Amino acid sequence: MLILSRKNEEEIRLGDNITIKILSIQHGQVKIGIEAPRDVRVVRGELYAEIQQANLEASRGDRNVAAKAAAGLVRPGEKK
Amino acid sequence: MKFTNRQFGELEYDDDHVVMFPGGLIGFEGNRKFLIVDDEDSEPFRWLVSLEDANLSFPMLDPALLLPGYAIDAATGGGKTVFVIASLRPGVDGSTVNLRSPLVIDNATRTARQMILDDEGLPLQFPLVPQASQAAGR
Repeated sequence: MLILSRKNEEEIRLGDNITIKILSIQHGQVKIGIEAPRDVRVVRGELYAEIQQANLEASRGDRNVAAKAAAGLVRPGEKK
Repeated sequence: MKFTNRQFGELEYDDDHVVMFPGGLIGFEGNRKFLIVDDEDSEPFRWLVSLEDANLSFPMLDPALLLPGYAIDAATGGGKTVFVIASLRPGVDGSTVNLRSPLVIDNATRTARQMILDDEGLPLQFPLVPQASQAAGR
C-alpha cells in the first residue's frame, strides 16, 4: 500500500485520467472529490463488501429451495 | 463441450451459449465464463452457472416478474437482458433479491457485468416473497 499525506485542496492522480481531490477536512470526516472515466466503478467500500456478501450467499442457492420459492411467487399479470 | 456442475450434473453447451463476465461478479472476479441454465423444476428462476467452478451457480430472476416498474439506464439502449440475483434461505422465508446490483447481459456479444446502481433506495435485500406485515401495509 502506498501511503501519502495530503492537505485540503490537494490532489492525487491515478494513471492518466483519474483525479482524487481532498475537498474538506473537518470533524474527523474527509470530503473527497473523484473524477474518473464512466467505466471506472467508484463505490463506497462498505457497499462493495455488502454486495460481495450477497453474492456469496446467492452462490450457495439450492435448486430445491428455488423450486419451493418459485411456487410462492405471485407473478403480475398471470391468470390463475 | 461439457461441464459438470454439482447441482445440475453434466451440462452440454456450445461456445456461443457462453456468457462472458470480463470482470467476473463482485467477490467472484476470477470466474468469467458462465452458462445460463433453465431448470424446469425451479422455473421462473434461471441459473447463472460457472463453467470454471462446479460449486458455483447463482439463481436469478427477470426483475419484471417482481417489480413491473424496475428499469435501469443500462437496459434502455435495448439489446440487453437484465437479471437480479436471489439469495435463497432454506425455508424460503427470508429469501431476498438484490435490486441494487443487477446483472446486465449484452445479447449481441454475450458479454455481461454486474452493475452497482446509484439509486440508494434500491435494496440489496428485497424480500422475494412479501412478508405478512409488509403485504398488509401495501
